[in-house]
Amino acid sequence: MQSGLLSTYQNPTQNRNILAWVLSAVLMGFYVDLYFYDHLDAVAKLLHLPSKWTFYGLLYTLGMCVGGYFMLKKHGNSRYHMLRTVSLIAVQSILGFLLPLALDFAGRPSYYFSYFFPLKYDILFPSSLKDMPVVVALWFIFGSLFGLPLLVYFKGKRTYCSWICGCGGLAETFGDPWRHLSNKSDKAWRIEQVSIYAVLALVFTMFGLIIGDAYAADGSALREVAHHTKSFYSFAIGSVFSGVLGTGLYPLMGTRVWCRFGCPMAALLGLVQKFGRFRISVKKDMCISCGNCSTYCEMGIDVRAYAMANEDIKRASCVGCGMCAHVCPRGVLKLETSRDPGPHGNIQVWTVDL
Amino acid sequence: MPALDPGTRAPHYVIVGNSIAGIEAAITIRNRDSAAKITVISYEHAHPFARVSLMYLFCGQLSLKDTQFYPEDLYDRMRFNRISDRVTTVDAAAGTLTLQSGTVVSWDKLLLAVGSSARRMPWPGAYEESAEAPSKFMHHFVTLPDFRALDAAAKPGMSVAVIGGGLIGVEAAEVLHLRGLKTHFLVREPWYFPVALDQAEAEVVAEHVRHHGLDCRTDTPIDGFERRGGRVVLKGREELVVDLVVGAIGVVPATSFLAGSGIDVNPQSGGIETKANLESTTAPGVFAAGDCAQVTWPDGARRPEQIWYTSRDQGRAAGAAMLGDDVNYRRGTWYNSAKFFDVEYTTAGYIPFARPKHGAGGTADGDGWQTWYQQVPGAAVTQRIVCRHGVVKGFNGLGSRWNHQVWMRWIHERRPLEWVLAHMNEARFDEEFTKPFAVLPSATLTPGA
Ligand SMILES: Cc1cc2nc3c(=O)[nH]c(=O)nc-3n(C[C@H](O)[C@H](O)[C@H](O)COP(=O)(O)OP(=O)(O)OC[C@H]3O[C@@H](n4cnc5c(N)ncnc54)[C@H](O)[C@@H]3O)c2cc1C
Ligand code: SF4
Repeated sequence: MQSGLLSTYQNPTQNRNILAWVLSAVLMGFYVDLYFYDHLDAVAKLLHLPSKWTFYGLLYTLGMCVGGYFMLKKHGNSRYHMLRTVSLIAVQSILGFLLPLALDFAGRPSYYFSYFFPLKYDILFPSSLKDMPVVVALWFIFGSLFGLPLLVYFKGKRTYCSWICGCGGLAETFGDPWRHLSNKSDKAWRIEQVSIYAVLALVFTMFGLIIGDAYAADGSALREVAHHTKSFYSFAIGSVFSGVLGTGLYPLMGTRVWCRFGCPMAALLGLVQKFGRFRISVKKDMCISCGNCSTYCEMGIDVRAYAMANEDIKRASCVGCGMCAHVCPRGVLKLETSRDPGPHGNIQVWTVDL
Repeated sequence: MPALDPGTRAPHYVIVGNSIAGIEAAITIRNRDSAAKITVISYEHAHPFARVSLMYLFCGQLSLKDTQFYPEDLYDRMRFNRISDRVTTVDAAAGTLTLQSGTVVSWDKLLLAVGSSARRMPWPGAYEESAEAPSKFMHHFVTLPDFRALDAAAKPGMSVAVIGGGLIGVEAAEVLHLRGLKTHFLVREPWYFPVALDQAEAEVVAEHVRHHGLDCRTDTPIDGFERRGGRVVLKGREELVVDLVVGAIGVVPATSFLAGSGIDVNPQSGGIETKANLESTTAPGVFAAGDCAQVTWPDGARRPEQIWYTSRDQGRAAGAAMLGDDVNYRRGTWYNSAKFFDVEYTTAGYIPFARPKHGAGGTADGDGWQTWYQQVPGAAVTQRIVCRHGVVKGFNGLGSRWNHQVWMRWIHERRPLEWVLAHMNEARFDEEFTKPFAVLPSATLTPGA
């Protein structure tokens, strides 16, 4: 139950108008500079930080804290949103910032323990694993191959995308004011299905090539191809798609552009979710078609269409942020993971006999 | 247009109103008759939109497009012929209707799904503009034109009186308050929303509303008004000076244009009299659905059902009836939901109309009626269960979410109160991590309902 009404469309930055375009351009400019130039290294030096990446980590964490504060002001009366927002901020601050920074200062190799394959695509490369302490290597291997898929099977993709992930974390906090801008059309859904699985296929192709490369002879054609694929992926997907566009488009296309159209992790976990237990249950014949759920779905799912059709929602893309259920003024939606669909399966016309 | 052979030509279905009842009927017809000619007429908006979202439009939580509950290409996909105009007269015997533009449209089957408009305030002169007070102060909150007028007039800092203790009134009051108007919420009855809430529940709602900073007054009938210096003085037990008034004393079927059409309209309610298949009692081939139709309720009474989901069901039923199905529209067990500011409300089954009580009993004294009630201390959370001879008959829940389908099944299964109290959590529909339901020591079981 949401506390107070949102005045989303009355705020000029949330309205896809000129201010939003300017903001988008600024964000993109920042990411271009971050990825492709060194100006920020100078800033980092001024702040006595090891590199521009640490400086970026600091900004990112601050952005999430400030965004999270405003997010909780709006939605914090719900314990679900309170807990997951706190979890996102804690994971980012500790695992995504302080711990790597501490390791760095201690002169040890630093790791981001909350990112797994295939989102952090190079973590399982033989060349990366071979330099890791065994426990760390086991953490990433077990986490990527068993831990997360199992969690997602039983509790839904949200456990990662809306409780742990740093990309999701920024979207849910800093990006919250723009969640309603996601495109809800069928066309966007079709594009999403092509693009996200294409990235997934690309990641696996790259991974295969890199593994092959580990056994290939020096100067072989395979090595060449593997190398090119990796630099293409790192440039096109790693920097441009997930960074420049993913965050830069927040004020224009909503907050989950990367998660929805590009993230290979979301694609993979989505497939697990589709066969898992997580769903959004629809209370039968209670929807008043108001449009709040679909509007505030950052993944562009037309939740209302399901609610109007009395159909439970089982979609690979759903990141389980829970906002649809939260903003629904008639309590029609409920995130559920119980095995049995519960007593609300059938619709009948009952009569009270007095 | 040359007249086609009536035996072979596709029938022309004309549907007036593209809101939930009208559009559901049109879709029902198209899904089963791909050849039919279907014309949908509406003056309000080119696309079906959710009227229930007027408050979200007003405060900027949704845009008008967000409230369109079908994709924008619906008319094209369904091959509906769109007319954006107002119907001014209907001639049932001739099978024609006239639009404001003067165009005459003829039909083979006609559906009237024209919905409601606001009940007008019974104060002489309230809708007149004078030299002294040229601006319109009297507003309503039902149609898009109502919304646009209020949206343009309501400026932060003004004061406004919302009159009427119903669901539309509380929604209007909430968004006016949010916009920064000094909002007086005036209820004639001794407590808020007496058709569904009893005194204790209503007090919880009123407290919550006051907590938001509104002036919420019960037992405050307003008998008239007077203009004074560009403002409006409301006359009741005390005088109240405001800039705007929103009349929210109910809705009436928008059927006044049917006078002399040959279609029978109930003189009291304004609802179009229908048979069990939703066809007009006096004009064959003319059907009615949604807010404007006079239908039979489970208690046998005849009145319109002014609810979103029943309008949808009626639209589908009327569509089937227009296709020639043998339809018997029957309303099932009553259920509904609403929201009073942040407090959600769900009800199902038999909750008697509450009236001021002396002592414990209410409308259904004696005869085995009992009421179980509790309020979670310090929270706007209550539950009320009405039973007879220990068997549950109706539920009212404020401040938490309940699955009405489960409640209705229990009523149907004639579950005893103790059993229901032990199983209440199975009907919970709240977000995860919400505190489960528990029977509190302060819960009461009193005679009467
Ligand atoms: C502010 C508000 C909040 C509400 N909240 C709820 C709620 O929470 N839950 C609930 O169950 N119900 C709610 N309702 C009631 C619900 O909106 C109605 O029951 C429902 O809209 C009725 O649908 P309908 O299709 O019968 O007609 P309407 O929605 O009233 O639509 C009437 C249609 O007829 C057209 N029309 C009318 N006259 C003419 C004419 N002469 N010529 C051409 N076209 C015409 C209009 O353009 C419109 O398309 C609410 C209503 C309001 C106003
Ligand atoms: S928010 Fe709730 S009532 Fe509104 S359209 Fe979605 S499910 Fe239906």
